[in-house]
This record gives sequence, C-alpha cells and structure tokens, in this order.
Amino acid sequence: MPRRHRRATAAAFLAVAVLAAGALLYLTRPRPEPPPELRFPSQTTSFRYLYMQVRDTRTTAPEFEFTIQALAESDAPVTVLSISQPYAGLSLTSRPATPLRVKGGGSRKIAVIVRVSECGKVPRNAGLPFVDVTLRNTRAKEAHSYILGARYARDLSMALKVACGNGFR
Amino acid sequence: MRQRSLIAITAALAAGALTLTACGSRDDNGGGSDSGNGDTTVVIGVDAPLTGDLSALGLGIKNSVDLATKIANKEKYVEGVTFKIEALDDQGQASVGQQNATKLVANKDVLGVVGPLNSSVGESMQKVFDTAKLVEVSPANTNPALTQGVNWAKEKERPYKSYFRTATTDAIQGPFAAQYVFNDAKKKKVFVIDDKKTYGAGLAATFTAEFKKLGGQVVGTEHINPESKDFSAVATKVKNSGADVVYYGGEYPQAGPLSKQIKEAGAKIPLVGGDGIYSADFIKLAGAAGTGDLATSVGAPVESLPSAKEFVANYKAEGYKEAYEAYGGYSYDSAWAIIEAVKKVVEDNDGKLPDDARAKVVDAMQDVSFDGVTGKVSFDEFGDATNKQLTVYTVKGGDWATVKSGTFTG
Repeated sequence: MPRRHRRATAAAFLAVAVLAAGALLYLTRPRPEPPPELRFPSQTTSFRYLYMQVRDTRTTAPEFEFTIQALAESDAPVTVLSISQPYAGLSLTSRPATPLRVKGGGSRKIAVIVRVSECGKVPRNAGLPFVDVTLRNTRAKEAHSYILGARYARDLSMALKVACGNGFR
Repeated sequence: MRQRSLIAITAALAAGALTLTACGSRDDNGGGSDSGNGDTTVVIGVDAPLTGDLSALGLGIKNSVDLATKIANKEKYVEGVTFKIEALDDQGQASVGQQNATKLVANKDVLGVVGPLNSSVGESMQKVFDTAKLVEVSPANTNPALTQGVNWAKEKERPYKSYFRTATTDAIQGPFAAQYVFNDAKKKKVFVIDDKKTYGAGLAATFTAEFKKLGGQVVGTEHINPESKDFSAVATKVKNSGADVVYYGGEYPQAGPLSKQIKEAGAKIPLVGGDGIYSADFIKLAGAAGTGDLATSVGAPVESLPSAKEFVANYKAEGYKEAYEAYGGYSYDSAWAIIEAVKKVVEDNDGKLPDDARAKVVDAMQDVSFDGVTGKVSFDEFGDATNKQLTVYTVKGGDWATVKSGTFTG
C-alpha cells in the first residue's frame, strides 16, 4: 500500500476510534440519580385548625371567622387555589384571598370568613366537618378534603348557633 | 513508526474509554439473594382469611407481607437476620383467630404478627398477644375500640400496648361516609343495614350518628345474617321505606348480593359501605346494577402514591396469583414496621437479638417512623396510624373509581 494511502487509512481509523470512544463515554457517562417524583399536593400539604372568632351578629350579617394554618413540606411549595365547604346554607371567603402560595417548608395562616345564607341548611352539630380545598403544585391540581377534628367541630357548632340564634333564618 | 504510534495511541484511548465506561456504569445486580444469608431467623406471623368468602383480601395481605420479607432479605436490611413468614388461615372467624394467636405465640421465632382482617378476629387475639408481649400490627382492623377502648366515644383508653394498626378507624370512616353521602351525594333518607359483627355494626353506628347530626333521616334499620345469601325480605323493606340510599356495615360477600337484590326489588338507589366492600369481588357479586354504588376505604388510592409504585412493580415481579387488593399497601407497611422495630432492637444490642426480643420489639414499635407504601408510617399514643386518609370510591365501568379523598388532621 502506498504511503499516502496508509496515512489516509490510519487517519480514518483514528477518527472512527476517537468518535466511537467519545460516543461510548457520552452514552455511559455517570448520571445523577433522577430527582424523586414529586407527590400530589395533598400528600405534601396539611391544614391545621387554630381558632374561631365568633362575632356579635345582632346588627350585622350572620357571619363568623376561623383561622387555619396551611403547612407545606420542605421542597414542596403549593398554591391554595380555593377553599370551600360542602354545606348548603354557608359560603366562604378567605383572607388572604385565594389563590395563595405556601413556600416549601413554610406555613401560612389563613382567616376563613363564613357567611350564613340559610340557617335551615347548616350542619349545626356535625361531628367531623370538612373543609374542601383545591391545591396545585408542579405535579398536579387536586381537590382534597381536610377534616379538622373534634375541636373545630365543636367551635363550628357554637359559631353556627350564635350566628343563627338571632332570629335569622 | 509515526503511524504505528498513532494506532497505539488510538487503541489506548479506546481501551481507556472502555475502562472508564466500566467504572462509570452502575451495578444493576444489587447483590444479595431472595433467601437472605442471615444467621438468625425471625418469623413474621400472618393471620388472615386465606380461604372462604374473604380470601381475596386475606391473600392480598399474606402476599404483601411475604413481599416485604423478601425485600428485607434481599437488601440485607437487618444485618444477621433473615425474615420468614408463617401464615395462618383464620377463615374470618374469631375463635380460629384466637387459636392461631396461641400457635404463633408458641413459635419462639415469631417476633411480630401482621393481621388480622376482621375487627372481631382482632378483638379475640389481642389479649393472647399482649400476654406474650408479641407485637401485632393490623393493616385492616378499623373498629375504634381495639386501640381506644370500648368507651372510646367518651374517654379514650388504650387496652393493649402490643396492638398497632396502619388502617384508619371507623371513628373517622363512618362520619367521612356520612358527610359525603349527605353533602356531596345529596342523599337525605338512609336505610341502614349491618351484619351484627364488630366491624359492621360499629361502622354502621358511626355512620348513622353523623348522618343524623347533619340532618339526615334514618328511615329504616335491619340486621342480616352473614351466613345467608337471600336478602329479599330486607330488600323489600328497603323498597317500601322510601330511602334514597342504603348504608351497609359489613363485607363484600354479603354486600354484593344485597345490592343486587335491593335493585331487583325495585329500589334503584346506591348502596354505600366501608372498606369491607371495597373489593373487585363486590363488583362481580353486585353485577351491572351495582354501578353507582359507593365505598369508603382507608388511605389514598395506592396507585396514586409515588411511594407505592415500587411496591406495585415488585408485587407484579414476584408473580403472585392474587391481587394485593385494598390492604396490600397497608400490609406491606405493617410488616415493614415490624422489620424496622427488629432492626432497632438488633442494633441496640450489638447486632444480636436480646433474650427479651419480643418485649423490646413492642417498645421499639411505638417509635417506628418511615416513608412507607402508603405514606409516612408511625403510630400515636393509642397505637393508631398517624396517617389518617380516606377515599370515597364508586363503581363505574366495572371497576372502582376514585371520587373524593380526605385527610383527618384534627
């Protein structure tokens, strides 16, 4: 084989070998473990009932206010898109208004203002009343109920009795 | 010479690349084997109905515990310990469950028991295990009295230190169902039926109390004989009552035919039950008319939890013939809680099991905390799961479909 050809062959072989080695290195490079899959927002968020504030409704609209605390797990920020409840005769607004964001690892107090529109359709003695929330994180948007426990149930019953105890129907 | 050098350099580069590749690749073999290589054998007992009407749920429990022990052995999770299971069939009967408890206590290698399915069976086993200081973790018992005492509604008092459970109680499940039925499904008149057993009657009672508190009306109540499959007389009563929903406290072998016969009697209303009817077998037994029936079950749907994906994949890989059913994830977590407790006891004793291992495992169980299939697994001062989630399912297209999930945070 002429010297020129031998050189060309060697150069081609070198180029192919370097390319192959590079491709192998690239394809088999050590890769970091993929981050764990983010959980649904209800799995990383909890709500805690704090306290109830009953108002004197003799001269104002029948309404009361309770405060809950939203807690997000670390690295799992969440947005509360809505807060509601399933009972006919009640409507809710919140302060701060929804949507509101809770930082990962953080918590936020939320005042929930309850307006009674029809006392005949409220749960005056519910044992485990719900608060329904819609949550969103980077994984999903999700509707979920939180059952805030016996103390919330007692306070809610008392607040409803006061709100509906002034001749309001 | 120059060319030869180039060739040599190229070859060296290629060889180096291959060497680096080998170094950089992950070892997918994992190591270990299913049989484990520990010196000490620790047996995890399983008690569940492995034959009879409730065997679909029971076999799902047994297989899931078996899977947990295989994973622990493969990972050599507890140094020097190989886990095995001893599964006994309680046939859903309290007396058989009690005999099984005695058998498990007699085997000195048993350091923990997963089960049973039925609350009535659990009730019969508690004292036997507690006397022997043998820990019991139920993935499925939901009657509140088992952890909070018979007067749980007024004053909670833990009756047995050795009893734990990963399932949520009916103190939450019954009211959760009542809230959904009254507020979301807008049903106001209920006919309540139960099978007179610890689980069924207890669940029906907690449902009824909350339904009444919400302003709902109970238009009729009946008890059925769980040995029977003819519920036509009850079905006629339901039809004549004007109820717009039926609540059944009991299990799917009776709930399926009951739902079918209620519809055949002319009452086209949904039957609602608890975790005891949340089974594929309920849908088979209820037939096409069961579409729209509802069940609450403990926890979030296993398939919706990222933490459960590995469990589901491993369960399939093991090739179990039966599905993991409603309690598979909870059974795996119950077994893993025992494994964690054993690990703690061994590590605290210089790598060996102490003579009073059973008592030590009971103590360690109280502080167990890990991320399990069903979420965070830990226990409160009564031995109840701290993770209290519930889900409403409905029969749709021949399968159970998720309707609503809730979490108790009180």
